[in-house]
Amino acid sequence: MTALETPAVESRVEPEQSGQGGKKDDAQHSRLTAFKASPATYAVLIVISAVLFVPFVLMVSISLASDHTSAQNAFTIIPTEFTWTNFTDVFTATGLPVGRFVTNSVIIATLSAVGQVISSSLVGYAFARLRAPGKGIMFILVLSTMMIPMQITMIPQFLIFKELGWVNTYLPLIVPNFFTNAFNVFLVRQFVSRISNELDEAAQVDGLGYFGVYRKIILPMMWPILTAIGIFTLTHAWGDFMGPLIYLNSEEAMPLALGLQYMTSTSNAMQLPPWNLVMVGSIILTLPMIVIYYLGQKYLYEMNLQGGSAGVK
Amino acid sequence: MSSNIVGDALGAARSARRTGRRRTKLSRRGKKEAFYFWLFISPWLIGFVGFLLGPMIASVYISLTEWDSFTEPQFVGLANYTQALTEDPIFWKVLGNTFFYALISVPLSLVIGVWLANLLNKRVRGRKIFRTLIYLPTLVPLVATAMVFKMILAPSGPLNDLLGWFGIQGPQWLLDPNWIKPALIVLSMWGAGAATVLLLSAMNGIPRELYEAAEIDGASSWRQFWAVTFPQITPIIFFNLIMGLIGAFQIFSQVYILAPGGNVGGPDNASQMMVTLLFDQAFSFYHFGYASAIAWLLFVIIMLFTLIAFRTARKWVFYESEVR
Repeated sequence: MTALETPAVESRVEPEQSGQGGKKDDAQHSRLTAFKASPATYAVLIVISAVLFVPFVLMVSISLASDHTSAQNAFTIIPTEFTWTNFTDVFTATGLPVGRFVTNSVIIATLSAVGQVISSSLVGYAFARLRAPGKGIMFILVLSTMMIPMQITMIPQFLIFKELGWVNTYLPLIVPNFFTNAFNVFLVRQFVSRISNELDEAAQVDGLGYFGVYRKIILPMMWPILTAIGIFTLTHAWGDFMGPLIYLNSEEAMPLALGLQYMTSTSNAMQLPPWNLVMVGSIILTLPMIVIYYLGQKYLYEMNLQGGSAGVK
Repeated sequence: MSSNIVGDALGAARSARRTGRRRTKLSRRGKKEAFYFWLFISPWLIGFVGFLLGPMIASVYISLTEWDSFTEPQFVGLANYTQALTEDPIFWKVLGNTFFYALISVPLSLVIGVWLANLLNKRVRGRKIFRTLIYLPTLVPLVATAMVFKMILAPSGPLNDLLGWFGIQGPQWLLDPNWIKPALIVLSMWGAGAATVLLLSAMNGIPRELYEAAEIDGASSWRQFWAVTFPQITPIIFFNLIMGLIGAFQIFSQVYILAPGGNVGGPDNASQMMVTLLFDQAFSFYHFGYASAIAWLLFVIIMLFTLIAFRTARKWVFYESEVR
């Protein structure tokens, strides 16, 4: 199992992030025309990155606009007013339980991540280390399920959860995560396959059972990939819109991603949504993702190395 | 995203098939190990049967019935499929919308991604700042992105104000059937930075000797890009193309959020996509049979694209191993 052949589709992603590590090369090959940065290079880079970044800036500057400016739609790209009270008003002045939205998001995202981490580590360990007849077929099954779009199972799943009386609870969004998914199983399995098995064989000789080996030897070594899976699940569950839209219709149960949409749709056609507060909400939705990305960057990177990632988004 | 996973998955499947064939008599120890194997994978196995295989079979059956979940399902054979493909005028429009969106937004954002990566791969001052500016928008959750665009694209919103300074009367964007799809495509460009970062690290791994050789041969930087850089990054472009197309066919949240006034299809159904139609049919009208049929048609389209992509890959994807 350890000698995995990697066929043709081999990417050339190098371990170093592009910014670092290239210094020596740069100095040595600075005269190569392919790497010469002309004024046009800068012009294009500045224009495109500015265009990509403007909506982000708008989000911040509108979140700081006063109610008056917001109602007039008189926004500026660079913030001119700093109505910091918006950041408290969003919780009190919208007529919606925004604080509750945030709590719901935290609960759903955290428990989803916990579920994926526990279940994928168990299943991935088994596929990497334990031998059993039928394992090969099971693994092919795991891989083939990666291709099935969720829309196929969406309706029957809804009917199952409705039958169980789980509609309007967090359960339909959280529980499936405790049964892992093919992608995470694959990642853990690849990661564990690359750990030398001398240690767990020695432990087995010393009388540690299979669960003991998992718990005491493998689990402590798995944490880089488990952190990556945790981050990935967290960000996915945090930003998920369709799942909550299907299963949650009471304000009390909504996560922030759905609550924000609710905030803009409750205002009728004549009356504009409170854009400044909606943007505060968008920032609350965005900030944890940026923080998590910067804290977890190297683990997500690890995931990349271990056989591809689903991207951060 | 990296293309590693495709290769790894194929390789893993191949080696799994090899080891899977071996049939030996199990010792007592082997039996115990096998027992633990099934115990450990039981979370996945239960999930597979309960949340995937079971629902898939149910979905096939539901797609062959007319069912609103309140009364007994009525078996109608392939009527839902023929209704979608021959009778429902909306369906073909929706298919057209989805293809229009996917076939423009995905290649376009890849072109931008490659372009940016190639520029950043040069000796640029402040590369880190540019990279952050390009990557940060991809960390914004889709819902937040959609909110910002909903505001920017309002009839009297910032974009039309900007156009007004140049004396251009901006369109009604989300209210105009001709402009809502371009608006959705513009929104998707915001994710171009994700591919850029991966492509950039791939470009960084290309041996500099190749460029030196090209330089000696007198190739221009344009020629060097097409002859040296591009062939080396095609696997990643290819992988991003397939995954991007699959993702684009399933576009939902942006459309749902941007569609004005709770009308999911947008003005004149101009922004109705496969999945929004499916969602509408299932959860607004309780046409579970018809919605399931749409889901399977979507599945077929996704599979077709994946197959075409893999079939044609040999022709234009450069694998270093082939040269060896």
